[in-house]
Amino acid sequence: MITHVAKASEERGRVVLHIGPGHPNPVAIEAAIRVARAFEAGIESVFVEDQQLFDLACYPFAREISLTGHSSRVLSPEHVTRELKFAAQAVRRKVEQLARAAEIPLRSRVIRDEPLRALALVCAECGPWNVVALADAFTGNAHTLRRLLNEVADATGVVVVGPKARRTRGAVVVALEELEHLPAMLRTAERLVGEGDEIVLLLIGTDEEGLHWMEGEVRLAIGANDLVRIRQAEIARGAASVIAEALRRLEAGFVISHFGGLVVPDEPDGGTLKPLAAALECPLFLVR
Amino acid sequence: MFFRRTQRDKIASHGDNKTAPVPDKVDSLAAFELRRMVDPASLGFKTTADLEPITGLIGQERALEAIEFGANLKSHDFNMFVLGPAGSGKSTAVKSQLQRKAKEEQTPSDWVYIYNFENPNQPKTLQLPHGRAKALAKAMIGAIDELRNVLPALFEGEDYQVRRRAIDEEFRAGQEEALENLNKKAQVQNIAILRTPTGFAMAPMHEGKVVKPEVFNALPQDMKKEVEKKIETLQKQLESILERMPKSEKQRRARLSELNEEVARIAVSAAFDDIAASFADAPQAIQYLEAAAHDLIRNVALFLTTGEEERALVKQPVDTARDARFRRYMVNVMVSNGSDDAGAGAPIVEELNPTYGNLIGRVEHIAQMGTLVTDFLLIKPGALHRANGGYLMVDARKLLLSPFAWEALKRTLKAREIRIEQPSEMSGLMSMQTLDPAPIPLNVKVVLLGDRELYYLLATYDPDFARLFKVQADFDDSISRSTENDHHYARVIASIVKQHGLKPFDAPAVARIIDEGARLASDREKLSIEIGRIADIVREANYWAGEAGREITTRDDVARAVTEQIKRAARLRDRAQETIERGIVLMDTTGAKTGQINGLSVIQLGNFSFGRPSRITARVRMGSGRVTDIEREVKLGGPLHSKGVMILWGFLAGRYALDVPLALAATLVFEQSYGGVDGDSASSAELYALLSALAEVPIKQSIAVTGSVNQRGEVQAIGGVNEKIEGFYDVCLARGLTGDQGVLIPKSNVQHLMLREDVVDAVTPGKFAIYPVETIDVGIEILTGMKAGIRGNDGRFAAGTINRLVEDKLKWLAQRAHEFAKGSDNAEDRKTAS
Repeated sequence: MITHVAKASEERGRVVLHIGPGHPNPVAIEAAIRVARAFEAGIESVFVEDQQLFDLACYPFAREISLTGHSSRVLSPEHVTRELKFAAQAVRRKVEQLARAAEIPLRSRVIRDEPLRALALVCAECGPWNVVALADAFTGNAHTLRRLLNEVADATGVVVVGPKARRTRGAVVVALEELEHLPAMLRTAERLVGEGDEIVLLLIGTDEEGLHWMEGEVRLAIGANDLVRIRQAEIARGAASVIAEALRRLEAGFVISHFGGLVVPDEPDGGTLKPLAAALECPLFLVR
Repeated sequence: MFFRRTQRDKIASHGDNKTAPVPDKVDSLAAFELRRMVDPASLGFKTTADLEPITGLIGQERALEAIEFGANLKSHDFNMFVLGPAGSGKSTAVKSQLQRKAKEEQTPSDWVYIYNFENPNQPKTLQLPHGRAKALAKAMIGAIDELRNVLPALFEGEDYQVRRRAIDEEFRAGQEEALENLNKKAQVQNIAILRTPTGFAMAPMHEGKVVKPEVFNALPQDMKKEVEKKIETLQKQLESILERMPKSEKQRRARLSELNEEVARIAVSAAFDDIAASFADAPQAIQYLEAAAHDLIRNVALFLTTGEEERALVKQPVDTARDARFRRYMVNVMVSNGSDDAGAGAPIVEELNPTYGNLIGRVEHIAQMGTLVTDFLLIKPGALHRANGGYLMVDARKLLLSPFAWEALKRTLKAREIRIEQPSEMSGLMSMQTLDPAPIPLNVKVVLLGDRELYYLLATYDPDFARLFKVQADFDDSISRSTENDHHYARVIASIVKQHGLKPFDAPAVARIIDEGARLASDREKLSIEIGRIADIVREANYWAGEAGREITTRDDVARAVTEQIKRAARLRDRAQETIERGIVLMDTTGAKTGQINGLSVIQLGNFSFGRPSRITARVRMGSGRVTDIEREVKLGGPLHSKGVMILWGFLAGRYALDVPLALAATLVFEQSYGGVDGDSASSAELYALLSALAEVPIKQSIAVTGSVNQRGEVQAIGGVNEKIEGFYDVCLARGLTGDQGVLIPKSNVQHLMLREDVVDAVTPGKFAIYPVETIDVGIEILTGMKAGIRGNDGRFAAGTINRLVEDKLKWLAQRAHEFAKGSDNAEDRKTAS
């Protein structure tokens, strides 16, 4: 679990910030820094130059269409190299600036490879207990997440932000589906929660009876804790939009959830997570 | 020869210059003539508690009628200037007079400044029925308060969120769907769409990965062409999708904007409907409310704070009226004239500090990030705003001393509107963000209060003054003494007692104050109406009564108050007195001396004045007919003093030297005088000294002299007669009264005598005397004990008289001068012969 990362008596881990060729989401970088600071970890910033772009650029008919769609130009390997170099430099400066301000150790590197393989390589080099933060906005493709968690074995968790992400401050919401996850997720939440903010334990279940039982157990487990507020959400399997709406109303600054449950199901159909990704205004911390 | 005159000339001249017969004996004044005292019994009350206090002023009918006239005449240029001495109570009287009038007049409208939604730099005005401005301001704050709660709730509400999501989804789904479809389409055709740092690119794909170029190159030509064609088609489709995105986003925003306005309109209408209903009688207010509502709907985002802002608000609650976001919806009340039911009438405003800003109003600024900024809420009203529709009272002197204020007031009165401009702008000293507020129509009656000198200066030098201030209300300094006015005076004292909550004054105390009133007027036939000074005496007398443990203030307390006032102010008088007593300043009060006399002068120190005797000496010798005033020569003499001395020359020449040249050189001096001397009140004393010197007859030093003289030898009235007499009396008293001492005063000054009681007490047993004289001849007889002499039928003065001695001396001087001119040196023989 992620809470293994930075306990004082344990080995310290890394937050691996994965940056692709597109413009990185500023909230994603902020989230990575917040996690690193919370767990007293360093950041390994990895700008991945997708090898496929260079292959593509070797085609004589290769053209790049601008983001506005108003112009296009012929691509060449040199052109791609130069553009990626500039993009990497710009992102590196930005991340360095933020990390320096937060007094977080930072190592930046550029790797030319296939993205997931590059990520797996970096995580393996850093050792166990890495949290991967994706700088590109997550649009709800569960397939990508599944691949990441399957192929990057040394990643204990993934932080993603949706296209509408706009804050990292506010309540830390723990979407709790199984009681056994409570201690670890709660400790993580306690580390992430900011001064003056609260922790909301959002109990997720499919029936009222089960939720009541879980709430009782949770109350017994946490005792009297003013910092923690308990809420319930009864959802049917796959109703991610209900969760999304609940999170929006709670105005969460961070959401911690278990990958493969009701909130973020491990399904090959990427469309399932779209409503959640679209509604998320804060980072989503997915743990295995 | 110049001194040979024909007989006809002589007769004619003598006819013009006959001396009046001198009475055998000039009596000194009796004690009752020295001070007019009120008989307490004649006042007809025991204490002031029995009197009905008088409101307003007494004996100022002319001024009060002028004020009444000015107030009634409704014309912008018939403003008033109230003239009168300071402390005469004119301000209170004007206010009292205007209050009666103002109560009957209509209460003017309220005025507010509001935000100009079209041009924020030009705030608009709003005229409202009186008493409604504050209600509008409060209602607007209430409405905004309500919207601060309602709008976020509405926009957070399920209804809005569902509709908004529907719009978002509609457009996003459209875009994403198109991209996703294209992606799927590309995948089916084994084409990969990859993200580059600045756009998208496509390449052939196999098993989810881009085909290596060398592999692709190994493919058959047809296949390669086919892939290229597919990519070209997909690129065109991608371009088309991406091009549509901004337009789509624009449409989305427009739809969202419509939705926002629709939702906001519901809340804004609900918040404003009640206000609009309560201001249905004010069309301008309705227009403003409509504009404000329109602006609110367009700027509804102002009310939708982010989560962090909300948390900050919880920590530090913000007053809506002070919240910068909502300032534009606030109402700046410039004038509020009471509630509907109050019926306050027209306002009367007295501006005690009439600076430009205090009169016209000002646009204030606040410092923000090193810059001075302002808005319509920082427009502050001036006295003209508050007095609009009524009366404005201003002290003229203060007004004229305030930079820009006088010109601004005139400009405003002429334009009949209050236009707020910054003085710094007018002078071009500073350039900063400022406003150009719409002017407010002005209908005010301005009442300036000042002294006469100021009025006449303005009337002479400022042409606008006469055009704008056509009514003058001239307050008298004093009123005539009569039984009726004494009674009125007593009632004024009663009103002062009541106003200040003092102990009642008994009749003798009131009588003593009336006496003091006459003394202040320097005229026993008048009473001073310097109410301020009278009130000071009354309050001080009350204090001394309290010190003495009395419940009623008595005559002794009033006397003590007067004495103590003098004591506090008389340090310099006492010092001057001491210098005489110690012989530092030479002054004889006994014996007789030739060419030397005691003149009297008055020194004014603020409200306190005292008399001071001065030794005046005269020396004569042969000369060319010039009386030299040493004070004038050394520029210590003022023009009036010089005039008095020149008159002496005219008197001497006209009386004694009609047919001979005035071969005289005389010098006159105020001995031991080191300051300036002005006024002609010593001219008779100087003449006496001159005559004494010419006649070589000594003058009694026990008698001091005051009075001016004309060319015919008539003694004329002077000012400060009481102080002058008292000044000499004090010197004599210090040295011991001999019974010979006294003062010569002009007879016409007898009516002004209000001497101190101790002086009167000294006169009663004959220890001191006051001699009223009409002519120089009368005076010289008292001073020398010799007859002045009148011309006989032979045209000459009788032998052994002062006039004869003077005339002879002048003729001798003329003859000596003639002989001197001829070079003769036997002048002494000729003198003996004559």
